[in-house]
Amino acid sequence: MVDIRLNATINGRKVSRDAKPHLRLLDFLRDDLNLTGNKEGCGAGECGTCSVFVDGVLMKSCLMPVAKAQGATVDTIESLAKSGELSVLQKAFHKAGASQCGYCIPGMVMAATAALRANPFADREEIKERLGGNICRCTGYQKIFDAVELARDVQNGRLPSTALLETDTADGDVIGKSVRRIDAPSKVSGRLKYAGDMIMPGMLHVQVLRSPHAHARIVSIDTSAALAIAGVESVITSADVPGKDGFGVFVHDQPIMARDKVRYVGEAVAAVAAEDALTAKRAVAAIKVVYEPLAPVFDPDEAMREGAAIVHDYAPDNITKHIPIRVGDVEAGFAESDLVIEENYSTQAIEHAYLEPEAGLAYIDHDDVVTVVSPSQNITHHRHMLARIIAKPISKVRFIMSPVGGGFGGKEDMIYQGMLALLAMKTMRPVRLVYTREESIISTAKRHPSRTTLRMGVTRDGRIKALAMRMVCDGGAYGLSTEGVMRKAAILAAGPYNIPNVRIDTFGIYTNNTPSGAFRSFGALQTQFATESHLDIIAERLGLDPFEIRRINAMRDGATTHTKQKLGSVSLMRALDAAEQASNWEAGAPTVRGPTRGDLGHDDVRPSVTLGARFAADDKQEAAE
Amino acid sequence: MLICDEYVTPGTLAEAFAAMERHRGRYRVVAGCTDTLPWAREGRAGDVEIPVLIDVSKIPELNERQVGDKRVRLGAATPIQRFLDDAALGRAMPAMPRCAVWFADDQIRAQATLGGNVVNASPAADATPCLEAHDAVVELASAKGKRNMALREFITGPGKTQLAEGELVTGFDCDAFPGYGGSFEKVGHRRSLVISVVCLAVMVKLDRDGLTIEDTRLAIAGIRPVPRRLREIEDHLRGKRLTGALLEEAADMPLDLVQSRTRQEYRRDVVRGFLVRGLIAAAKRAGASPDALTQELEAAYG
Ligand SMILES: Cc1cc2nc3c(=O)[nH]c(=O)nc-3n(C[C@H](O)[C@H](O)[C@H](O)COP(=O)(O)OP(=O)(O)OC[C@H]3O[C@@H](n4cnc5c(N)ncnc54)[C@H](O)[C@@H]3O)c2cc1C
Ligand code: FES
Ligand code: FES
Repeated sequence: MVDIRLNATINGRKVSRDAKPHLRLLDFLRDDLNLTGNKEGCGAGECGTCSVFVDGVLMKSCLMPVAKAQGATVDTIESLAKSGELSVLQKAFHKAGASQCGYCIPGMVMAATAALRANPFADREEIKERLGGNICRCTGYQKIFDAVELARDVQNGRLPSTALLETDTADGDVIGKSVRRIDAPSKVSGRLKYAGDMIMPGMLHVQVLRSPHAHARIVSIDTSAALAIAGVESVITSADVPGKDGFGVFVHDQPIMARDKVRYVGEAVAAVAAEDALTAKRAVAAIKVVYEPLAPVFDPDEAMREGAAIVHDYAPDNITKHIPIRVGDVEAGFAESDLVIEENYSTQAIEHAYLEPEAGLAYIDHDDVVTVVSPSQNITHHRHMLARIIAKPISKVRFIMSPVGGGFGGKEDMIYQGMLALLAMKTMRPVRLVYTREESIISTAKRHPSRTTLRMGVTRDGRIKALAMRMVCDGGAYGLSTEGVMRKAAILAAGPYNIPNVRIDTFGIYTNNTPSGAFRSFGALQTQFATESHLDIIAERLGLDPFEIRRINAMRDGATTHTKQKLGSVSLMRALDAAEQASNWEAGAPTVRGPTRGDLGHDDVRPSVTLGARFAADDKQEAAE
Repeated sequence: MLICDEYVTPGTLAEAFAAMERHRGRYRVVAGCTDTLPWAREGRAGDVEIPVLIDVSKIPELNERQVGDKRVRLGAATPIQRFLDDAALGRAMPAMPRCAVWFADDQIRAQATLGGNVVNASPAADATPCLEAHDAVVELASAKGKRNMALREFITGPGKTQLAEGELVTGFDCDAFPGYGGSFEKVGHRRSLVISVVCLAVMVKLDRDGLTIEDTRLAIAGIRPVPRRLREIEDHLRGKRLTGALLEEAADMPLDLVQSRTRQEYRRDVVRGFLVRGLIAAAKRAGASPDALTQELEAAYG
C-alpha cells in the first residue's frame, strides 16, 4: 500500500499525516483524527450524517476518498461550537427541541449551516429543499425546520437573540409545557459519544461472518486460515460458548451464533477480532464453512401446514405463539346482524432504519466483570441472559446503555452483544463492532408481516354485533419479541369499540425469513389496520359517515375492554373530534362527495411533492416580465 | 468497501495517460466517486479490491467550461452543481438547472460529475436526457489521440458505452439554447436522493408574442435502456400556435415510449402528464402569452 501524505487544514489546524489510500474522508476524520461528531449512518450518500465542509462546500464525506482532501480546508461539526460556545443554529436546534435520538443532528446542523450561508433569507420550502440530503427518523422534520427558521430570523435581526434562550417554563412547572431537552447541547455539538464513536486503548475490531443460506445444516467450520492472518487475535463460533446458549425476549431460541444449522440469510455464523477492521474483514473471508442446504419455508401459512420444513425442533408445528381471545358468542352475533362483511388484509415487513447502525464495545474490567456497552433498549434483560450464556454470576456481567441513535423497538434484541462479550473474554482486550447499514438491514428484526381475515357483523344503524379475526404473522427464524407482539395485536385487535361478541386468534409463525421483532405499536398496527379499514368499508355500505360509525361504537368512560380491563377515562371521542377537524373532513358517507376534494388545498395541507423552491424568485420575475 | 493499494491524482492529461499505461489492467478511473463508492458495497459489488484508482477530477482540461451563444463546451469533470451556480451556463442550457435541482442533493451535486453520470450510463441518469436534447457530442481522448462521437452513439445500453480501453471522456460539446425556456420533470420514490422512474427534459422557444412555438427540444429517460430524443413530438409542435389542445395532442402521440419491465401502466400515465406539464412550464419560462395557456390546463397538470 502506498500511503498518502495528507496536508490539509482541519477545523482551523494544519494537519500533516499519512493516511491509507483506501480511506474515505469520513474514516480519516473519525478513526485517524478521532473527530467523531459526524457519523456514518449509511456509508452510501443517502443519509447526510457524515456531512462536512470541504473548502466551504458541504459534502458527504462517506463518498469522498481522503486523497480528495489534499490541500483542502475541512470543517466538521466540531468546528461550529468554538470553545464550547454553541452557534446560533445550534442554539436554535436546542431551543426548538429539534433533536431526539440526535444521531442525524450533527449532519442536520451542518446542512442547515450550509443552507443559511447559501441563502440567509431562505423560506421554509427552500430550507426543506436544501436539507434534502439529510434524513432524520425521529423528529418528523418539523422541529428541525422550525429551528432553522428561528436561527435565520435571529441572524437577520428579525428576532432578538434572546429568542434562542426563552423558556416557557418556570421551575418545576413542566406539565403541558414545551421543555428544553437537557441532552440537546451534547447532540447539536456532536460531542455525545454513541457506541460506534467510543474507543479504548488496545481495542480490537470485530467483523461477522453471515449465512448465505436461508436454511442449511452446518457441516463444518474451518477457521485455521483466518487465524493464520497476521493481526487476527481471535475467531469464535458457537463452539466457544461456555454456558447455556440462547437468547430472546420470550423464548431463548436464538444462539449467539448459528449452532448446528442456519435459519436465515444474514444469521451470524462466526466472528473475528483483529487489529483493524480491514484485517478482520479479510479473516472473515478466509473462514471456510461447509453447508448442507435444507428445504426452507418462507410463507407462514405454508409453514403451518403438515409436512412443511421445521425451523426449530422444539416447535414441530412452527408456531411461535398463538393468542386466542373469546368473548360472547360470535355466531349468534353474526345471526343478529343486518350486514356481515369479510375481507382479507395484509401488511409487509418494515425495517426500523434508525440512523445509528448497531454498534457495541466490550471489555473485561479489572475485577473480571464482563462489560458490554451498546445502544440496547433492554439492558437488564440482556444482562441476565448473557450471564447464563457465558456461565458467569450476574455480578460479573455489566451492561452499559450507550446513547441510542434511534431504536423504535429494533434494539431490544441481544443480537450481537453475546459475540462481543465472548471475544473480549477470549482476547482479554476491548473489542468493538460497528455494523454497516447493509448488515443492520440484513440481520436485525423487522416489523411482522401479517395476513388477516376479518369478519364483522353490524346492524343497519351501525352497531357492531360481532367480530371474528384470524391473523397469521411471519415471525421469521427466531422468536425475539413475537410472543408479546402477538399478544398486544390480539388485545387491541377489536379497537376501542364496544363489541359484545369477539373471537380473535393471532399466530406468530417460524419461517426462514429475517426474524420479526418489536417495532413501534408492537402488533397493534397490523390488527387495527384491518379493523379500521373494515369500518370504512362498512360505513360506505351503510351510507354512514366514517366518523359517525366510530362514534356509535366508541367505548366511553367506564367501559370494559374485550380482555376485561376496566377503563376509567376514555379519550376516543376527543381524539375523533380532533382528527375530524384537523383533516378538514367533509361530513357524510364516503359515497356522497363529488369529483373534487374539498379537504385539499387548505393552508395546512402540503401541496404535491416538487422541488425548485430556490427558483421561486426567478419564476416570479419571469412571470412579471 | 472499495480497497486500493494506491490512489493517484494526475495533474494533467498526459500524466493520467501515463498512469493508465503504467497500471494497465490494474486500475479504475474515478471522478466524483459518487457512483463508484456506493457500488463497492454489500448487495452490489461487495468488497472490491482494485490495485490503483486514478482520479481524473483535478485535470485542468476536464474542468474547462466555455459558454457561448451557439455552443457550450463542458469538461467531463464539471460538477452537476455548476448548472445551479453559473448563471450564464444555466441560460445556455435552460433545462439543466431544473434537472440539477432534482439531481441527488446539494452536497452530492458538488462532487458528482457530468462525465461520471454519462460513463456510468444508468438508464435513470438524469443529465443524459438533457445532453441528448442539446445534441451533445462526447469528446474522447487517449494516449493515441482524440475522437468525437454523438452521445446517442456513445451510450449503448444500461452501464454500457463505447469508451475504449485507455480512453477518457474529456468533455461534451453541446448546442446552446439561450432564450429558450426549460423544464425538467422527474418522479421517484421521494423528493431528494432519488432514482428517476421517469425523467423528461424540455426546452421551448416561442415567437416574440409568446404565442407560437418556434422550436422545442424534448428527451426522456428512465423508461428505456438509453435516453430517447422525442423528435416526432418536436416536429409536431414546431411552428404551431401554442394551445392547450396542441400540447395534449402531442402528449397523446402513439410513440410506445415505455420499455421498462415494471410498472408500465403507471409510467405511461406519468409520461403523458409530464409531457404536458413540462411543455407548459418551459413555455411559461419562455415568455408564453397569458392568452395562450388557460388556467384550467395549468390546474389540471400543475
Ligand atoms: C445518494 C445518491 C443519489 C444520487 N442521485 C442521483 C440522481 O438524482 N440522478 C443521477 O443521475 N444520478 C444520481 N446519483 C448517481 C451519481 O451521483 C451520478 O451518476 C454522478 O454523476 C456520477 O459521477 P461521479 O463523477 O461521481 O462518478 P464516479 O463514481 O467517479 O464514476 C462513475 C463511472 O464513470 C467513469 N468515469 C468518470 N469520469 C470519467 C471520465 N472523465 N472518463 C472516463 N470514465 C469516467 C468511472 O470510471 C466510473 O465507471 C446519485 C448517487 C448517490 C450516491
Ligand atoms: S450519507 Fe454519508 S454516511 Fe450516510
Ligand atoms: S433525531 Fe434525527 S434520527 Fe434521531
